[in-house]
Formats: sequence, structure tokens, C-alpha cells
Amino acid sequence: MRKEDTVKLISSEGFEFVVDKKAAMVSQTIRNMLTSPGSFAEAQLGEVTFPEISTTILEKICQYFYWSLQYSSGKETEFPIEPELTLELMMAANYLHT
Amino acid sequence: MTMNDRKTIDLEQGWEFMEKGITKLKNILEGRPEPQFSSEDYMMLYTTIYNMCTQKPPHDYSQQLYDKYKEAFEEYITSSVLPSLREKHDEFMLRELVKRWGNHKVMVRWLSRFFYYLDRYFIARRSLPPLNEVGLMCFRELVYQELKINARDAVISLIDNEREGEQIDRALLKNVLDIFVEIGMGLMEDYENDFEEAMLKDTAAYYSRKASSWILEDSCPDYMLKAEECLKREKDRVSHYLHSSSEPKLLEKVQHELLSVYANQLLEKEHSGCHALLRDDKVEDLSRMFRLFSKIPKGLDPVAGMFKQVHPKETTPIAASLILGVSWRYIPSAKTKPPSPASEL
Repeated sequence: MRKEDTVKLISSEGFEFVVDKKAAMVSQTIRNMLTSPGSFAEAQLGEVTFPEISTTILEKICQYFYWSLQYSSGKETEFPIEPELTLELMMAANYLHT
Repeated sequence: MTMNDRKTIDLEQGWEFMEKGITKLKNILEGRPEPQFSSEDYMMLYTTIYNMCTQKPPHDYSQQLYDKYKEAFEEYITSSVLPSLREKHDEFMLRELVKRWGNHKVMVRWLSRFFYYLDRYFIARRSLPPLNEVGLMCFRELVYQELKINARDAVISLIDNEREGEQIDRALLKNVLDIFVEIGMGLMEDYENDFEEAMLKDTAAYYSRKASSWILEDSCPDYMLKAEECLKREKDRVSHYLHSSSEPKLLEKVQHELLSVYANQLLEKEHSGCHALLRDDKVEDLSRMFRLFSKIPKGLDPVAGMFKQVHPKETTPIAASLILGVSWRYIPSAKTKPPSPASEL
């Protein structure tokens, strides 16, 4: 993965997830931030911190991004969600507009 | 992200935080030394709005935030934008207007992204205009409505200067007229009512003045050359800065003032009118005449009338057959009582 195509998502505990930009843009919120015309210093650095999203949830979300890209290219698989994560996951999804 | 352990954000507190972000944005727009927004800034501002909208009532501040969003624009416009515009005039005012419109669009883009959560549910639930529209409307109501007449007049005055041969800043005019188009938010009404109408009227008056002096001074061929040149320039004007929809209306005005109004006077000019051209075999001038007059509705009728009066003996065979061939094909009225070319020549 080339550096320019990736973005780093950081959870509240400081865990860093490096994902493809394309995957991260499944989130409308992240997309808005990365595509703001010209003025985001960190858009070049490509790092976003989510002080309110825990590591477990953020990990699941990253998995979701990739699953979503896969699904839209035709592969219809299921996305497994552990029941105890559902509420938090939904809230995070709402926050990220995913 | 759990709702239970989140502290409720009070409206005052939350808004104070947002104000900082808005001030930062204003500084950037005004060109003051201010570091750019970091992604952390963005997330914090977005999150604050998100939190304030998802808190349990009575701490669900969506309505207040929607109102404050609008107020932020109004405050900035009335305190900074309008004063700077009011102190400038003519071309300087136009430049400032273009700059402020550009800034405004940037401000809308940023603020609507911070307040984005409102667009997701709140506006749909209450069938309110989306943030983007609210932002643009503020500019329209406060700035555009106040300045549209001055802007229009400044533009028209520059156009008339260009007509007189002066060099003007075409890019500036294009940018100003883009505002008239964009402010209509999808409809051409504003451009048409607030600019085009007056521009067409001014154009008609301009060419009416020109025509009334040219018709006295110039020969028919010279007049037609000038007319053709004017039409060419006006078409060029459209392609450079007017909206394309203005083209047919503009050309129609010019044609009317230069050609329709003076058609008979032009053709009947004693030494250079239609008769003279036919007699002297001025094919180029005659074809220009045909080109110009064929564009006006029923424009060729007076021309056809002239041709009918011409005896074939007064023209050379080539000119006659050229003209008659043309008139046969294009002028229905010339077909009554046709002199047959073969027998007469």
C-alpha cells in the first residue's frame, strides 16, 4: 500500500489503524474531511483521531469498510457482528455516516 | 462511544467552542495569519455538533444550532462583508464582490461540514432548507439584493466602454455574471431579471444612437460592413463573459436597431443603395446584404421588393442570374411575376 493512498485512523486508546483512503471514504464524515478543498494540513499527513471511538469498535469499522467495498463489487458475503458490539457499532456508524 | 458516560454539553459551552472554530475560519478567509484547520479541529467541531444533537431532551439543541448557523453568516456579513463592499464603487466594488462571493462559498462549505449532522436528520424531519441553501440564501438576501443594481450598472458601463474600443477586464465581468447565475440556485430568473433585461435595453439604446448617425454619414456598403462587424463583436462578447442564453436575444436587438429600423432608408440610398449595387455588379456587397437581411424575420422582403424593380438590362447577366437565383430559392414573395432569366438575357 503506497503511503499516499492510505489514511491513519486512531482510536480513543491511541491504537492506529492504517487503511486505504478508498476504504475510509465509505464514511461520509471521513470523506468530507479528506476532500475539503485545500485547507486541511493533516489531510496531507492523513491522520484522524477519534477520541470517542474505542479500539474494538474502530477495528470492526475498518473491517466493515473493506467488506463494503467488496460487497459493492459483487461479492455478496455476510458481515458478522457480535451482538454485544451492536449498539456501540450503530452509534459509531451514525457518527461516521457510514 | 457510549451515551451513558458522556457529559451533557450545555448550549452555552458548546456554542462557545463552535465560535472559536468560526472565528478561526473568518481569520483564514480575511487573510490573517492563522494556521490551517487540522483534522483534529474538524473532528472536534463536528463531534460537538453531533453530541449536542444527540443528547436527550431538553438538551437536544438541534433547533438552536440550526438558528445559530444562520446567525453566524448574518453576523459575519453585516459586520465585515457589507461595510467593505459599501465603501467601494464601480470596478473596485465588482472586484470586492467577486472576492467576497468566493469567500462566502468557502465559508458555507466548511460550516456546513461542521454542522453536517443537522443535514442528516433534523432538516428532513422538519422539512427545512438544507445547510447549503441556508448559507447561500444569507448572501442573497443581505448582499446580492443590496448591491445587484449597482453591480449591474457597473457591468453595463464597462460593456459600453468596451464597445467604444477600451480594453476591459473580461475575466472580472465573467466572474461577476457568474454570481448572477449562481445566486439563482438553478434558475436563470435572477440573471434575466436583474441583469439581462437592463443590458438588452442599454444595448438597444447604444446601437440606436450609432445607427442614427451612421445612416446619415455612411454609404450602404460601409454601413453594412459596420453592422456585420458589430454583430461579430457582440457574439464574441457572449462567448467571453455573457451567459450563452443571452446570445439570441442580444443579436436580435442589435439586428433590429441597425437593420430592421433603417432597412428601407439603407436600400434606397441614391448612390450606394440596392440599385447602385446591382448596376455596378457589387457581388460582395450584395451577398453581405443578403447575409445580414436574411437573419431578420421578413428581412428579405424589402430587398426582394428592390430586386423586382430592377430591369434586367441594368445589370450584367452574371449579377442578375446570381441575384435571381438567390431570390428564387429564398424569397417566396419574389416568385410572383418572375422574369424568366433565359428569355430576358
